[in-house]
Amino acid sequence: MSIFEYNGSALVAMVGKNCFAIASDRRLGVQLQTIATDFQRISKIHDRLFLGLSGLATDAQTLYQRLVFRHKLYQLREERDMKPETFANLVSALLYEKRFGPYFCQPVIAGLGDEDKPFICTMDSIGAKELAKDFVVAGTASESLYGACESMFKEDMEPDELFETVSQALLSSVDRDCLSGWGGHVYVVTPTEVKERILKGRMD
Amino acid sequence: MSKSVVEMPPKGGFSFDLCKRNEMLSKKGVNPPSFRKTGTTIVGLIFQDGVILGADTRATEGPIVCDKNCEKIHYMAPNIYCCGAGTAADTEAVTDMVSSQLQLHRYHTGRESRVVTALTLLKRHLFNYQGYVSAALVLGGVDVTGPHLHTIYPHGSTDTLPFATMGSGSLAAMAVFESKYREGLTRDEGIALVTEAICSGIFNDLGSGSNVDVCVITKAGKEYLRNHLQPNPRTYTSSKGYSFPKKTEVLLTKITPLKEKVEIIEGGDAMEE
Amino acid sequence: MKLDTSGLESAEPVWATFNELADGFSAAPSFELPNTTDFDGFQKEAIQMVKPAKGTTTLAFIFKEGVMVAADSRASMGGYISSQSVKKIIEINPYMLGTMAGGAADCQFWHRNLGIKCRLHELANKRRISVTGASKLLANILYSYRGMGLSVGTMIAGWDETGPGLYYVDSEGGRLKGMRFSVGSGSPYAYGVLDSGYRYDMSVEEAAELARRAIYHATFRDGASGGVASVYHVGPNGWKKLSGDDVGELHYKYYPVMPSTVEQEMVEVAGA
Repeated sequence: MSIFEYNGSALVAMVGKNCFAIASDRRLGVQLQTIATDFQRISKIHDRLFLGLSGLATDAQTLYQRLVFRHKLYQLREERDMKPETFANLVSALLYEKRFGPYFCQPVIAGLGDEDKPFICTMDSIGAKELAKDFVVAGTASESLYGACESMFKEDMEPDELFETVSQALLSSVDRDCLSGWGGHVYVVTPTEVKERILKGRMD
Repeated sequence: MSKSVVEMPPKGGFSFDLCKRNEMLSKKGVNPPSFRKTGTTIVGLIFQDGVILGADTRATEGPIVCDKNCEKIHYMAPNIYCCGAGTAADTEAVTDMVSSQLQLHRYHTGRESRVVTALTLLKRHLFNYQGYVSAALVLGGVDVTGPHLHTIYPHGSTDTLPFATMGSGSLAAMAVFESKYREGLTRDEGIALVTEAICSGIFNDLGSGSNVDVCVITKAGKEYLRNHLQPNPRTYTSSKGYSFPKKTEVLLTKITPLKEKVEIIEGGDAMEE
Repeated sequence: MKLDTSGLESAEPVWATFNELADGFSAAPSFELPNTTDFDGFQKEAIQMVKPAKGTTTLAFIFKEGVMVAADSRASMGGYISSQSVKKIIEINPYMLGTMAGGAADCQFWHRNLGIKCRLHELANKRRISVTGASKLLANILYSYRGMGLSVGTMIAGWDETGPGLYYVDSEGGRLKGMRFSVGSGSPYAYGVLDSGYRYDMSVEEAAELARRAIYHATFRDGASGGVASVYHVGPNGWKKLSGDDVGELHYKYYPVMPSTVEQEMVEVAGA
C-alpha cells in the first residue's frame, strides 16, 4: 500500500473564462474503512485563493496550518493578500524543505490573480510545481480524473458550464475508486462571487 | 519544551524532522510516494557563435504523464541556461538556488556571471548531498571566456564537452550527435541538429515526449525558443465537446459575494514581490 | 517395545482411486502440481495472483421461512473498481446457492465444479444432495489444495430434506454450520446490522429488508464493497431472487436529503 492510499482522496481544479473551479471528494477513510463523509480537503486561503491537499490527512492538516500561519504573517507585513503564484512558491518551498522526509500530500492550488486571471497549479509531495493552463488533478482517483478531464475539458467555459464539467469529471472518476467519493465539494470562483456546492454522489 | 513558542519562518536548508516517522512508516510496509520525474532527453552543443540547449517537455510520475508541456530549460543567468533531468523538484530547486546565488554574485561584482561559477556552485551542492539530490544537468552559456557546455551528474561529477546529452533519452540523442556533429556548425544547422536529437529522444524513449524546447545563447544574447517544434499535437479532441443532459444533483449551495477589490495606491514604500 | 501406530493410519488411502468416471464426485479432481524448484515462492506468487475481488460483503442467515442470502456486486483490484456488476451469489442448482468472496475465479470454478458433483450425486442416488453433503464436498476439495494459493470464502445455503441449511466454507479448509454468517471485507459492518436486527420468526419481507440493510451499511462503510445489493431467498421450493437495489439510490431512500437546491444566500457584510 502506498501512503497516499491510507486516507484516500480526489482533487481536481479547472480553469474557465475569468473563473476557476476546485473540487474534492468528501471521504476520510482509514484504508478501506470509511470514517467520515464530510471531510474538508479544500480550504480557503483568502477570498480568491483556494488550496486543496490530497494524500495523508494528518500531513495535509499540519501543512495547511503552517501555510495559513505563513500567509497571515505575509498579510501583516505586506497588508495585502498573497498572489496565487507567490503562494504556490511558498507551498513549494515548504514542501521542498522536507525533501528527505516529505509531507505525504500533494497540493492543488487555485486562485484568481491580477486582472482576474485564473491560476491553477499542482505539486508532488516535494514541491515540484506543475503549472497548467487547463486542469490539474491529485489524489487516489487521479488516474481516472486525468482521463475524465482530458476528454471533458473545453477552453473558456462560463462558470455554470465549468461547474457541470468539473462535477461530472469528479463524480465519474470517484465511482471508479474505492478510496474516494461519498459525495463531492465544489467551489466555483468568479471575480464577483464564490459558489460553494455540495454534490450528491454514490455513497458506496 | 520552551525552545520556541511559535515556529518562525525560514532559516533555510533542509529539515529532517519527519524522517524518523517516515522511516517507521516504510518499515511498517507503507510505501513512500514516488516523486515527479522528468524522464527526459536534454541535450546541448557548441556551434560557431555560442551554445544551443534543447529539451523535451514531458514530466512523468511513474507510468503517468503528468505534464505534457513542462519547461526543462531553466534560467541561471542572462547568459547561462541549464537543462535539468531527474527528480523535478530537485532540478527546479537546485537551479533556482544557484541562479539566485549568481544574481547576488553579480550584484556584488558588477560583472557578468561565468559558466564555471555556475558549474562550481552546482557541483558543490550536488556533491554535498552524495547523489541524494538527484539532478542531472546540462549547463550551457557564453561568457567572457567564450562558449561553454558542461554536464553535471547527480553525485557532483562534471564533464566539459562540445556536445552533450543527459536523461533517459540520452542514448538516442547521443546517437544523432555522434553521427552528425561537427565543429563550426552554423546557427540554423545547430538548431536543426539539436531538434533532431531531441526528436529521436521523444520518439524512441518512453520517458521523453511532447514538444521540443530550444535555447540559443550567443555573445549577443539568448533566444529561448519555447515549443520550437511540436511534433505531437493532440489529434483526438471531440469536436462537439461533451454536454451533460443529466445535471449534477446539488445538495447545498452557498454563495459568498466577494468584496470589490480596493486598490490602495500609496506613494512611497510600495514593495512589489 | 514397538509402538502400535496403526491407529494413526487412515482406514482407506485417501488418494487411492484415480478413476474419475467411477468416483468423479467423491474424490477431488487433481491438478498437476507445478514442477518447480521453488515451490514456496510459487505458492506466494500464486497467492498474489488471486488478489482481485478481495473486497466483498456477503451474508446469509436461516430464519423461519428458509434462508436469506445477500451480497454486494463490486469487484476491485487495489483501489481500482473493476466492476460494479459482479454476480457474487452463484446458483449451484435450483435449491442451493453459493456466495463468492475472495478470488473470483477460484469461487466461480469450484462452485461450478460443485454443481457438477451435486448433479452426479442426484443421478447416482435418485435424490438431491443435502446441503451438509454438498458443503462437505467443497470443503474436502478446498482442504486438498490448502496452502497452495486458493482464496475462497463462501457460504453454501440451500434447502434439503432436513429443511434449511447453511454452511460456511473457506480455502483454509474450515467448514462451519451456523444460523448466520457474513463473509468479506465488509462483514464486520454487516454483522453489526444483522446481529442487532435478527429474529428467527421474521417474515420473508422483514428478512429481506434486514439483509438488504446489512449489505447497504457494509457498502457505506467499506470502500471495497458497493454496487448492487442483491437478495435471494431459499425456501422449500427452491431459491428466488427477491431484489437487486443500487445502493447509490438505496442510501438516499434510507436517508432522504432535503433537496435544498434553493440557493442559500450567505450575504456577507459587503465591505463598507
